Amino acid sequence: MRRRFTIALIIACTGFLSGRLTAADVLPQATGRTSLSDLLKVQQSVQTLLPKLRTAVVAIQTHDGTASGVIITEDGLILTAAHVAEKPGREMRVILDDGKVVKATTLGLDKTADAALMQLNDNDVKWPHVKVCREITKAQPGVWCIALGHPGGFDKQRGVVLRVGKIVKQTANSLQTDCVLMGGDSGGPLFNLAGEVIGIHSQIWEDRDQNMHVSMAPFFRSWDDLKMSQIIRVWSTGSGGYLGVGLGLSDGIEIKIALIKKSSPASQAGMMQDDVILALDGEKMPSVSQFQNAVRARPAGTQILLQLKRGTETLDVKATLGSQPKEDEG
Amino acid sequence: MKLRAILLIVLWIDTSHAESRPPLTPGERTNGIQTLNAVDSIARQTKDCAALIYLKDRVLSTATWVGADGYFLTKASDAPMLEKAKIRWGDKKSAATREIYRSVVHDLVLGQAVGVTGVSAVTFGSKSNTVGYGQWLTSPTKGGKEVRIGVMSAQRRKIRGDGAAIGVRMDEKTTKGGGVRIVGIAEDSPAAAAGLRPEDVLIELAGENLSEFMRVNEIIHNRQPGEQVDVKYRRAGKIISIQVRLASRTKILQNWEGEDFANGGISVRTDNFSQVIQHDLPLHPLDMGSPLLDLKGHAIGINIARVDRVTTFALPAEVFWKEFQPILEADRHPPKALKP
Repeated sequence: MRRRFTIALIIACTGFLSGRLTAADVLPQATGRTSLSDLLKVQQSVQTLLPKLRTAVVAIQTHDGTASGVIITEDGLILTAAHVAEKPGREMRVILDDGKVVKATTLGLDKTADAALMQLNDNDVKWPHVKVCREITKAQPGVWCIALGHPGGFDKQRGVVLRVGKIVKQTANSLQTDCVLMGGDSGGPLFNLAGEVIGIHSQIWEDRDQNMHVSMAPFFRSWDDLKMSQIIRVWSTGSGGYLGVGLGLSDGIEIKIALIKKSSPASQAGMMQDDVILALDGEKMPSVSQFQNAVRARPAGTQILLQLKRGTETLDVKATLGSQPKEDEG
Repeated sequence: MKLRAILLIVLWIDTSHAESRPPLTPGERTNGIQTLNAVDSIARQTKDCAALIYLKDRVLSTATWVGADGYFLTKASDAPMLEKAKIRWGDKKSAATREIYRSVVHDLVLGQAVGVTGVSAVTFGSKSNTVGYGQWLTSPTKGGKEVRIGVMSAQRRKIRGDGAAIGVRMDEKTTKGGGVRIVGIAEDSPAAAAGLRPEDVLIELAGENLSEFMRVNEIIHNRQPGEQVDVKYRRAGKIISIQVRLASRTKILQNWEGEDFANGGISVRTDNFSQVIQHDLPLHPLDMGSPLLDLKGHAIGINIARVDRVTTFALPAEVFWKEFQPILEADRHPPKALKP
């Protein structure tokens, strides 16, 4: 069985939509039966957006292959994949949509999530660029999307290669779509039908529906570190909050603390084994995963208010979230 | 209890957002049954204009009906011997086939199902020129059992050819006992498919005795992708004879190490086309020869090559139809495929 492959392209070297469409116009119902007019609406969005989007998509020549990227600011900031950038401070050749060759330098990268930033060297040029979608949770399964990139490397006669498909799955750091990707696509953009970047092509599995993209979450979480050319290897840096509790599955749907880690934010806040978590910052916590996500959604250093049940007593506890310790590296 | 707690700490790192919708079921995906509902009104006609070409019990390619009296087109390099083949379609219908005209340039062959009338043929009336980047397209798959959708995914263009290859790297020195020793095999190449391995010694190619490696390249370079060549080789003292179908050289060189690995299979001939429409429909190499239609059900071309995981080429109708149509008309008068 083949496992997970990075699409290191690595082929040995051989939104500014005019007439803005509202979300309701462009997004046919995510699930349920699709109608012909739904498909034609998707087509209209794609064809309207493509001339603009493609100008921001670039091919990147790495030391041993070719990959893709997307320009997201007028001064030439590029989003790509960490396995394309490999390390900060590396200068690479970048090919624009019209075939013009320019240079860019890698900034920071998140090796865990496969996210990286690059900067085009020439900053007195107004670079063609696209917008990034800041509403990460809207990239839900069923949403139509557009993948662009340079599979196999830049080819002027062919042009950028378009794929249209749907988001199949969303996880904390990634999106899976049925837009087929291959070597050379790595680092290229996934767009929603508003023409905003929602993902960066990262890797594929064997099946045609197994195309993985870095979501915007790792980029936003570590934006400043990435811009300052930091390497993020584990989620301790800019990774969101850490409380230091192990949660057991108690009877019913209670979130019961099974373990308190030594010198963790939880132990410092006086939380105890067998406490049951009822609410976080006033928000009821119905499931373990929702609680975990609520903690992770807050940056380290945030003070949270937990409502706990201890025995028959209900109490409020304040805790200051820390960073994920290194030994939990996964 | 402790084990469970540790397990959850690990899970911590990998949980998805609680508010996220569940993953799409196969039916909800782009080529799932719920999405394909959109093309239901043209699905029947899309499926009916396809048939499968068989040699014994093996599928060679897909055919597109181009005349109600049994005329069809299919991919020439995948269907080398139409006279020995059979065509099957619909609900277990089947017929013998006769070959009428083979075009190496277009990689298409015109044939006729013997004694067949009333099939659902396509009409290449509409101009494919109007089809643009991002436009939805549809094709039958599995010989007309299902349909698939996708978009035109790149600029229309010519695809250059660089001849054929077998996919072996050879020892440049003469081998003891004669012949040419293989030192490397390209992944997914004709050589790999034929079971050749490093250390096998090629002793005869296309009927010619081999003594130097350059000659192997010369013999193969003069041939077309899809052509069969006779190969005789020596392995552990035994002499084995096989037939190998050559493939496009460009593809073999690019994919020597299997760089394009999860492609679901590719066509033997993937280049040397005067013009192609590239699309992202999830098709199989055996679907080549099937029609490509727009969402109004107009046939705009024929799928001609599965190239890699993201690429399928179709020949636009205006590229080949003006050449094939007069040949078909001429063949009709007088009718030749009478009841056998």
